[in-house]
Amino acid sequence: MTETLLEIHDLHAGAAGREILKGIDLTIQKGEVHVILGPNGSGKSTLMNVIMGHPGYQVTEGSLTFEGKDITALKTFERARAGIFLSFQTPEEIPGITVENMLRTARQAITGKRERIFGFRKELKEMMEELQIDPSYSERYLNVGFSGGEKKRNEILQLLMLRPKLALLDETDSGLDVDAVQIVSRGVSKFHNGDNACLIITHNARILDKLKVDRVHVLKQGRIVEEGGPELVDQINRDGFGHIKETTE
Amino acid sequence: MEKELFSTLPVPTWRWLGVNEAYLPEELQTLPTPVRKIQIDVPAGQHVTQVIANRTEQRTEITAHVAEGGSLQLVQLQLLPSDKAGTCSVAVTAEKDAQVYYTGAEIGASRVLAQVKIDLAGDNSKADVAALYFGDGTRSIDLNYVITQTGKKTEANMQVRGALQDSAAKIFRGTLDFKAGSKGSTGREKEEVVLLNEGIRNRSVPLMLSAEEDVNGQHAVSAGRLDNSRLFYLMSRGLDEKEARKLVVGALFATVLERVPDADLREEISREVEERIEHGQR
Amino acid sequence: MEQQKTFVEDIERTLYDIRNEDHSVYKTERGLTEEIIRDISRQKKDPAWMLDFRLQSLEKYYRIPLPVWGPDISELNMDDIVTYVRPGGKMAGNWQEVPEEIKATFDRLGIPEAERTSLSGVGAQYDSEVVYHRVQKELSDQGVIYTDFETAVHEYEDIVKEYFMKLVPPKDHKFAALHGAVWSGGSFVYVPEGVHVDIPLQSYFRLNAAGAGQFEHTLIICEKNSSLHFIEGCSAPRYNVTNLHAGCVELYVKEGARLRYSTIENWSRNMMNLNTKRALVEKDGLIEWVSGSFGSHVSCLYPSSILHGENARCEFTGVTFASRGQDLDTGATVVMLAPNTSANINTRTISKSGGAATYRSAVKVTPGAKGAKCLVNCESLLLDEKSRSDTLPVMDIETDDVEIGHEAKIGRISDEAIFYLTSRGIAEEEAQAMIVRGFVEPVAKALPLEYAVEMNNLINLELVGSMG
Repeated sequence: MTETLLEIHDLHAGAAGREILKGIDLTIQKGEVHVILGPNGSGKSTLMNVIMGHPGYQVTEGSLTFEGKDITALKTFERARAGIFLSFQTPEEIPGITVENMLRTARQAITGKRERIFGFRKELKEMMEELQIDPSYSERYLNVGFSGGEKKRNEILQLLMLRPKLALLDETDSGLDVDAVQIVSRGVSKFHNGDNACLIITHNARILDKLKVDRVHVLKQGRIVEEGGPELVDQINRDGFGHIKETTE
Repeated sequence: MEKELFSTLPVPTWRWLGVNEAYLPEELQTLPTPVRKIQIDVPAGQHVTQVIANRTEQRTEITAHVAEGGSLQLVQLQLLPSDKAGTCSVAVTAEKDAQVYYTGAEIGASRVLAQVKIDLAGDNSKADVAALYFGDGTRSIDLNYVITQTGKKTEANMQVRGALQDSAAKIFRGTLDFKAGSKGSTGREKEEVVLLNEGIRNRSVPLMLSAEEDVNGQHAVSAGRLDNSRLFYLMSRGLDEKEARKLVVGALFATVLERVPDADLREEISREVEERIEHGQR
Repeated sequence: MEQQKTFVEDIERTLYDIRNEDHSVYKTERGLTEEIIRDISRQKKDPAWMLDFRLQSLEKYYRIPLPVWGPDISELNMDDIVTYVRPGGKMAGNWQEVPEEIKATFDRLGIPEAERTSLSGVGAQYDSEVVYHRVQKELSDQGVIYTDFETAVHEYEDIVKEYFMKLVPPKDHKFAALHGAVWSGGSFVYVPEGVHVDIPLQSYFRLNAAGAGQFEHTLIICEKNSSLHFIEGCSAPRYNVTNLHAGCVELYVKEGARLRYSTIENWSRNMMNLNTKRALVEKDGLIEWVSGSFGSHVSCLYPSSILHGENARCEFTGVTFASRGQDLDTGATVVMLAPNTSANINTRTISKSGGAATYRSAVKVTPGAKGAKCLVNCESLLLDEKSRSDTLPVMDIETDDVEIGHEAKIGRISDEAIFYLTSRGIAEEEAQAMIVRGFVEPVAKALPLEYAVEMNNLINLELVGSMG
């Protein structure tokens, strides 16, 4: 039996009066892994941001439904509390707020329960070990002075600590060396189970090594132009996007 | 006789620092000096380049208006004889989408006062200011640059580079003033000063004023001697200290000089600076 | 939302605006005359030299004009200010002896509790007199003196005479002259050579009478290789008339000594806070200023550090939060007089609801200060379009062998940072508050825990219900 987690229906969205997404339909069931492929500028990151409710984008048509509830009008933090998580392509640097402080505040906000400092710290430490993050990083300011790879691992740390229902991973593997991709990939597979789902944007597919991909969507010029199973990933890695049919107006 | 005020810091501060006002040099006040006035009008959508290499005029006033979408490249090189005082004031208004490129060099004169005021009145207008100064001997340099950002999404950039040697004294006041309503505007200001020997006096006064929330402003000043490791590197390649200084100061000034369209003028200024470093007292 | 705002502001008022009935036993006439100065001096049983000092200062006060720069202080009319208000009761050495009403005020501000838990000495000043003073016995056994200033004038007259207003001479500016004429109360601390006071000493100043002035004098002498952390807290209830605070702080940091001077100031919004603070630092000495400015209607506060001995250092950390009706002009000055002196100035200012915050500083490097280093970093945050923020630093360098760096930024909270935090489930308001708290973190880190908590509370009070 499958349960629908996210349902995107005829989604049109854009920024500053320019339409970027031109009618997206996408359904994600619990337990699934979906991959979005597409050339630069096709609207992949915009889709992630719109699902997360970035205030810089406006939804002009269509709807987003999460666990049967219309979330199109919800604010970003409400969507996060409903169980959506975005791993940012370029995570923000925020001085003065430590990793631990942010994570504890976020978890309390999501669960509505007070976190015991001690237990939380222990859990955080274990996760950091798992992701090979130096324990001193929990006391460092959010992403400030982190290398590109450290920022991405910090995103996965947050994913594991906040345990969302839907993880949106926006090029979490880009700019990482082989070892770092392994670590990130392990983290994602540790997170993934039958009750949650992943929507992944990737350019090199290595992040998918440890995951069973259910569905692949190819985005071009704001539309999904091709869909298929995991074989599509290999095909596009081999042949590029060139042969994918142009959008039909 | 009462001293005549030439320019003031946009917002005053402690008096003991002596940076609030700049008064007209005595010799220009006692012997009334004619003021050369230059008016530049840049019509909408047009580009105007004006290069002023000043070797004789002790008092200059330049006013410019850049109409919508126009751009002005104004180069003002002060090359007065070293025994004369001089003043120069520049006032530019930029309308919507207008661009102002100002390049200044303060090389000559015993005492120089220069004021540059640019009003970014129109939306999307832009000011790009780059200036250099070289003070040696007993020269005194007093600069007051103000970019006022009134329009929306304006962009200001002020880069000033200088070197001081012997017992030269300099004041640089650089102000970025974000007016209420200048939403989306950015401002950058940076002054780099190289101090070539003891006995100089360097005063730097970078102001940033903001009555608007949606702006992004930054200013920075750095002052110090030539980087020792860089100097060592150059000397290890066979340059003596004076040659190394010339090279480093030359590199500092290069980005400003590049903006001077006339190769002869660029050459003249570089040579003048090198010669003065060669003849420095220490 | 509105509900919460009202609720929170109510708490704030009840905490800081407790206004007691005016039971003062003695009050001077309004305005400032020689007669008043003689009166004050008589009340305090000043030695003759002190009376002379006051009268000379008064002369200077008449002569010196108001400053030409800085915030508008024209609403201040000295003729309206009762310069000296003495509350009922004598000075007490035991908290129980402090008059009930005054005690309740300090209790509510958490002062005795702070003493019990984390401080080794406490002085509490109510209007112009110190009502309570205690210092742990271990410290007094080591020769540490911590007393109110009047007692110091009598019991340690030689020391006071040697140092009093030598660092901030009355001729310095109009309010220094005023202070010299009417000073009252304050603290005197003497730390002998080699003594380390491990737990902070604290003075709390509170102004209760309407239209009054507070002119406390703080004199701290840290002898060679000693160390001390001194905390000053200030508050006053709100009245509709202008109050004036023109205190004076003189700090002497001798060779190899370290002094940290922390202030959290939350004067009510009718206070003109024109305070002068100055430190003289000798060879290898260190002055650390931690300064939080939240209250007052107008503030002019620029603690200055005179680095007089070789390797003398200054660390300045400041946060200023200007809200509705506030014009807070704060910063620092550093004068570098000796070789290899160094200074680090790190400030954060926040403006909101029409408040104006100014960072003003002066760094002076004299010809003798070879090898001097000074780094300034100031960042300003504007939280809405009604507010204003200005940065006015001056650097005056008279030698080549220096490293001077100054960096300033001005701007607002980035939308992307808010999006990042809200994407983790944190509500917008809380995300903004987190970012503001993160912004002032360098200051919070330098404060003792309970003051860091108080500062965060003050920030939360300012932010809740007014943003988003």
